[in-house]
Amino acid sequence: MYIKDLYAISPQKTHDGSFENGDWLILNEYIYKAIEPSYQDIIPNAQLRRMGKAVRMGIGVSLPLLERNAKPDGIIFGTANGGLEDCIKFLNQIVEYNEGTLTPTNFVQSTPNALAGQVALLSENMGYNMTHVNGSLAFESALLDASLFFDEHKEEEKSILLGAVEEISDYNYNIDRLGERFKQELISNNELLNSKTNGSYCGEGSTQFYISNNPENSLAKFTAFKQSSYLSQNEIGGFVSDFLKEQNLTISDIDCLLLGKNGDVSTDSWYQEVEQLFGEKPKVYFKKSVGEYRTVSAFASYLAVQILNGKAQHLIENGASAQPHTILIYNHFDAIRHSLILIQK
Amino acid sequence: MTTNREELIVEFKEHLIKYLNLLDLAPADIQNDVPLFGEELGLDSIDSVELIVLLDREYGIKIKNPTEGRQILVDVNTIVDYIIANRTK
Repeated sequence: MYIKDLYAISPQKTHDGSFENGDWLILNEYIYKAIEPSYQDIIPNAQLRRMGKAVRMGIGVSLPLLERNAKPDGIIFGTANGGLEDCIKFLNQIVEYNEGTLTPTNFVQSTPNALAGQVALLSENMGYNMTHVNGSLAFESALLDASLFFDEHKEEEKSILLGAVEEISDYNYNIDRLGERFKQELISNNELLNSKTNGSYCGEGSTQFYISNNPENSLAKFTAFKQSSYLSQNEIGGFVSDFLKEQNLTISDIDCLLLGKNGDVSTDSWYQEVEQLFGEKPKVYFKKSVGEYRTVSAFASYLAVQILNGKAQHLIENGASAQPHTILIYNHFDAIRHSLILIQK
Repeated sequence: MTTNREELIVEFKEHLIKYLNLLDLAPADIQNDVPLFGEELGLDSIDSVELIVLLDREYGIKIKNPTEGRQILVDVNTIVDYIIANRTK
């Protein structure tokens, strides 16, 4: 699957391209909120006023990509929670108004597939339209679906708008924080990985890719990916080695490692296992930039493509002497759901 | 409960802005006699359902007949007149 174009709204300045050109924001917040562009020129006002943040960010990423590229044959998104804030509002209204008349807007916006549907409506796209709501492997599921789509259409040139979105909801953030998924104390993101406490910081954003089965003028390609659940710390090395073997690669073929280390002492040891496997390889800890959320592997993929194209080099630790051509992303959520994504130039 | 018509108009417009997320508007920006559905405010069919919910929740009015709804949900004046005549709270 060849990546022809990409765009992201995130807690860093990806919306205007300054993040990949070296502008890295130090975040001193409990919540890493996405920096949104002005939508006035992108989204019609009548629609914008109804949109929750997830839908707004998603469409804010989709429409510029669709404007720059030919109409895709399908739209495939992954999201763990979709428009969570609207969903909570809607559920609360059921109680508050004693199951009486409910407003349609919160309901419409809160369904996870509202984004893919609205993108299709706004761009008049009648093609394949799918949203994968599979927790912290939602983006990986969308990747798998896109891969199956291209497998079914090997003989003809096809393209897909592939992506992910996640928004922070106050309600869920507070519950997750009580459960120590997010830190009780405040430290800045450049100190995040030195933390000795449980939890990380919550992030959000939308990342999307315009992908095709035609390699011409591509920025990079999704070569392979793999997911697994409930791997113990002892099993993670084998999971990575098996994946490389399946791709006829060895550790020396990987130029750069992107790791989802998030400063949570209870689960970062899985990443340390993988780091030991790769020794002194150049690496990037992408959650220092955008925090933790369930579809953050889409952002990691965005970052990988930027690095493969000579950008975002300032984020590489153990800096590479040569331009990377093969990047491996390893991410897990709560040390329960694990994924590997291989991206190559 | 507001009984003065002018106060009710302002209160209704505030509800209108909140329920329909017309956040770039102030009550004074909405003319009393300009059709709500059309070019001026650009409201659509989903907004008409939001308006029905607004009338139910804020004034205890249930509009069940679509024909009746079309005569009521015309502009601010027609809606406020209907509220004055039919409100239950």
